[in-house]
Amino acid sequence: MALELRTGRGLYRLASAAAPETADEAVVLTLSLERADGIERVVFRCRVERELLDRDACANPESLIARVAPWVEREFEATREAALKLIRSERRLYEVVFDAAHRGPF
Amino acid sequence: MALQLIRPDINIDFVGKRFFFVALSTAINLAAILLLIFVGLNYGVDFAGGSVVQVKFDQPTSAARIRQALAPLDLGEVTVQEFGATNLNQYLARFEKVRNIGSLGKRLEGALDQSYGPSNKAQVLRVETVGAKVGRDLRVDGFLAVAFATVFMGIYIALQFRGVSWSFGAGAVIALIHDVLVVTGALVLSRLEFDLTTLAAVLTVIGYSVHDTIIVSDRIREDAAKRRREPLESIMNRAINETLSRTILTSGTALTVLLSLLLLGGPILRPAAFTLFIGIITGTYSSIYIAGPVVLFWEGGRGARSAPARAA
Repeated sequence: MALELRTGRGLYRLASAAAPETADEAVVLTLSLERADGIERVVFRCRVERELLDRDACANPESLIARVAPWVEREFEATREAALKLIRSERRLYEVVFDAAHRGPF
Repeated sequence: MALQLIRPDINIDFVGKRFFFVALSTAINLAAILLLIFVGLNYGVDFAGGSVVQVKFDQPTSAARIRQALAPLDLGEVTVQEFGATNLNQYLARFEKVRNIGSLGKRLEGALDQSYGPSNKAQVLRVETVGAKVGRDLRVDGFLAVAFATVFMGIYIALQFRGVSWSFGAGAVIALIHDVLVVTGALVLSRLEFDLTTLAAVLTVIGYSVHDTIIVSDRIREDAAKRRREPLESIMNRAINETLSRTILTSGTALTVLLSLLLLGGPILRPAAFTLFIGIITGTYSSIYIAGPVVLFWEGGRGARSAPARAA
């Protein structure tokens, strides 16, 4: 399932890039942000603390992605740049964290 | 008693040691030039052009194996290199010209999965594409921006300080070239990515360095007007000592901020913060040990010029 994001740089698709990781304290999604024409793609992680989620959301990663998508669309430039810079320079995935202090779309 | 970081009557013989520091700077600049020629900057895709794909594998593999796996896609010339520490199993594939770039990431993942199988899963972490001509044009334009900034700064300073000596312009230009070489040499060694943000930082270093050079040159001009019979070497040394407090405090406060950015600013700011950090150190150094000695070499250590110094 790929969700379309309308951004200042054109149409991008947000999709799951790997199986979600579920732990006692959080759910971690690995997402890919790919431009519609394929010339750009970056993978990043999205960690959501369990306290922000209800039981149904934990069991359904697709609903989590659908919930995160509008936030990514709003914060697109910062997320894209952070993800690209971190993967280029430190070879690790950028992780957006949603918790009680920073609830984001939750 | 007032706090004094630097004594008002300080008298360090900077000019007397100029031969050693000019020799040291020449050696560093030659090393930087050799690094640029034989190692090269780690150009970001903005300057390199083409397509860059960063791939992560579960298990170790080799560049040759990856090229073999991608061959059926017929994507044109591809360069594959290991990217980062060996245990990360990450590789960078560069394509100069990709025929039909659509869904490049998915196609690469499909080809790699087919070749490696489930025992060594590949994940495409990043795909970036810049037109080859755009990348080349940006490299040329970036170099021209640095070159023009340096030359016009030199012309401006030569005109402003012509009352003491036309060589101030030459001193400033040589100091700026030195600063750019030191900074780019440091970037080659650090392997930090050279992108548009880093280029902006290099241009900022040029502006900062010439600002410091002007401060010292202006004091030399003031002292030269007051002490016409004194040798230029002595005037220059006094001027550098008189402005030392201001130079160190200004550079020191800027470096403190930059150190914070370097340590805490994260990956987005790191290349620019590193460039500025090295650039401010070398800019301060060159204002004392490069710009001044160039003027002295030009003037042959003569006394101050008899023409009255003009205000800026």
